[in-house]
Amino acid sequence: MASKSKSRWADDEADAALEAQLKKAKEEKKRIKAEKLRKLEAETHAREAAAAVAVAAGTHEGDNSANEPPAKRRRISPARETVQTTAAGVDGSGGALQLLRFDGGTFGRCRSVENYDKLNDIEEGAYGWVSRAKEIATGKVVALKRLKIDPKDRGGLPVTGLREIQMLKDCDHRNVVKMREVVVGDDTSKIENIFLVLEFVEHDLKSILEDMPEPFLASEVKTLLQQLASGVAYLHDNWILHRDLKTSNLLLNNRGQLKIADFGMARYVGDPPPAKLTQLVVTLWYRAPELLLGAARYTAAIDVWSVGCIFGELLTREPLLQGRHEVDELARIFALCGIPTDDTWPAFRRLPNARGLRLPGKTAAASGATIRTRFPLLTAAGVALLSGLLALDPDRRPTAREMLAHEYFRQDPKPKQEAMFPTFPSKAGQERRRRRETPNAPARGQAAVDLGAVDFSGIFSGREKEERGGGFSLRMV
Amino acid sequence: MSHMTNPLATPDQLFQRRSYGALPIELQDAIFFATQCLTQAAGILLELPQSVTAQANVLLARYWLVEPPMSHEFSDVSAATLYLVAKLSPTPRSPRDLSNTYFYLLSPHTSFFRPPNSPPPPPPPPTAPPASASPSHLPTESTYLRFHTRLLHLEAHILHALSFNTHAALPHPLAITYLQALDFLHVRKETVARTTIQYLNAALLSPQMLYLTHQPNALAVAAVYNAARDVGAKMPECEWWEVFDVEREELGFLVVGMRSLVGWGAQMRRELDEMTGGKGGMVRRRDVEAELGRRGIRVGNGEGDGGGGPEGSGLDAEEEMARRMDEKMAEVEMAS
Repeated sequence: MASKSKSRWADDEADAALEAQLKKAKEEKKRIKAEKLRKLEAETHAREAAAAVAVAAGTHEGDNSANEPPAKRRRISPARETVQTTAAGVDGSGGALQLLRFDGGTFGRCRSVENYDKLNDIEEGAYGWVSRAKEIATGKVVALKRLKIDPKDRGGLPVTGLREIQMLKDCDHRNVVKMREVVVGDDTSKIENIFLVLEFVEHDLKSILEDMPEPFLASEVKTLLQQLASGVAYLHDNWILHRDLKTSNLLLNNRGQLKIADFGMARYVGDPPPAKLTQLVVTLWYRAPELLLGAARYTAAIDVWSVGCIFGELLTREPLLQGRHEVDELARIFALCGIPTDDTWPAFRRLPNARGLRLPGKTAAASGATIRTRFPLLTAAGVALLSGLLALDPDRRPTAREMLAHEYFRQDPKPKQEAMFPTFPSKAGQERRRRRETPNAPARGQAAVDLGAVDFSGIFSGREKEERGGGFSLRMV
Repeated sequence: MSHMTNPLATPDQLFQRRSYGALPIELQDAIFFATQCLTQAAGILLELPQSVTAQANVLLARYWLVEPPMSHEFSDVSAATLYLVAKLSPTPRSPRDLSNTYFYLLSPHTSFFRPPNSPPPPPPPPTAPPASASPSHLPTESTYLRFHTRLLHLEAHILHALSFNTHAALPHPLAITYLQALDFLHVRKETVARTTIQYLNAALLSPQMLYLTHQPNALAVAAVYNAARDVGAKMPECEWWEVFDVEREELGFLVVGMRSLVGWGAQMRRELDEMTGGKGGMVRRRDVEAELGRRGIRVGNGEGDGGGGPEGSGLDAEEEMARRMDEKMAEVEMAS
């Protein structure tokens, strides 16, 4: 899944991984075959019946088992050539037909948390506690994330937690945090302690940005953004909306690899997108305008907006749009990206919260986007990319895949090799991390904020005055 | 790819099933069949899409390969899997709805598993009970609370047994895609598609647990093959199943497995009828224990594999007592 525009080194790595995977798949195939033979033996009786019926019916006219001794009398099919041309996965070398084998693994009881030795706490978030731990058998260091369970909740285990587990289980990408397994507390008569065993990653991007004396170099920003886009593209390709992308949910290891974490808000979607999705997603500072305006039907473009916010944050080390509440957030968005017009966002007026919105006229000084002026050091391609990601109209934002092909990543300076990435003193390693001031993602079950008409006209009339006064003041509070 | 693949049972798991607490395999099959039917009936009454109910069927089958069936009441396991899958789907159902539905399905009012000549069932309003509904159609508050507690307990238990993997890929969409690729074999789309889906749904009830031993693509091809034969459609001359990555051997096995279900289902119903003492309705643990008593096999309350745990016996002493008395009565009746 690694991007095509990656450096040679990254490609080699991906190739090696692919090769290993193919090899593994081959071995798996062998194993499955052996297994099937055993299974079939156990069900000889049924198989005999099968043979009887098949022979009696006389409908089978082929022989595809060139590689195993025939168990019973068969006719040889003359239709071999036609099959070879149409069948998927024909092995060109020997002419033997090679069918795809699907391996879904097996199922069984999960292990106990006692297989791990807790080292130290890392963080306490809204959705659980994370601590560093060592697997006793292998000595491997992992992160244990405990699922927050409210025993008084008569709905049972939290659906967000179960979704997170399922999605992490399904994901396999170098820029998405890996879940090794789920373990439970020793007392299995009552399942109260559920832990996700995640790969341990040293840093989160948020604390790095807060502590670094100098901002990232342009090449480093490119590496990070490229990895982020590649991870997000993988998720979207697999029909997953993350819905809470922000720097504190992006982890960075000491080899310069970025990993997307925390799928507490994520969910599977289809195409067309489900009609009624909750608007209560994404931390306010990273929330797309269509969500703020109450769109119930939204697409992967909301994640792309968050990626744009993160891009801006990587450049300045400060969150890009730190609104105090929904209306303030929207005002900041319009200040940065311009006022939506019928040209820039045709569907905008139809959104539920847009009706009461009174916007300054077209003549107002700040109706255009100010991205260019806010990032004077960014190249033209960079500005083009950022403006695209932060397009007000969700349909005009590039997809994560398209983003990877953007010229920005091909221009000099080229993305820095991950291995050459600077390292940072680990915080997760030893001491307890302090809690972030970033607002949390909205909690499930809260009422969606209905931006009333009153709110809006008030804010924007104030804003008009402000404009006349001398442009927007965007100093951070 | 995970949307098309399922975790499969290991040979060990399939083998182990034969050793659960000395429960004869035909009894296990009967329990399996009855419980899967119960899940389907509940899914219909709860107006859940078949994709949700079918996933619940698959999870339940997996669960019973990890945990012996006798460790919990069958209907509770059915309710818990359905609750869990519905919760994760776009169509969640409340514990109250489930409680009402299962109470109704287990009550003597239903036509569920009753011989067709029994008196017609009263109109069932299980999910949205009007105020005038006779009280015996609805569980009492305490019955509901106990059901709810068991539901939540079992939900966690099932997730633990399955390593929290609730993923179940269904062959139904694949089967339709394959039919489209085959141009619906030049017969009426509706007929052949319906028959295909019917085969796939029936296969959920199979004691051979086809959904745990074969990947969705194989199930889909087998159902298409069977449906084509049933409606007399002309299939391609070549080995078209290989296009869909199914071997002839596998296809043959599945085709027979699916076709044998009709006769087997009828036999199961006779057996279940006997087990419930001719009363019909859903088979319960006490029926199975009584049956075992008749056969002279003693089996503990799921103690065979130590998976029973204290909840089965300790949770509800009153119910346990009632169960004992029922058993006793059955024995007395047998003796007389």
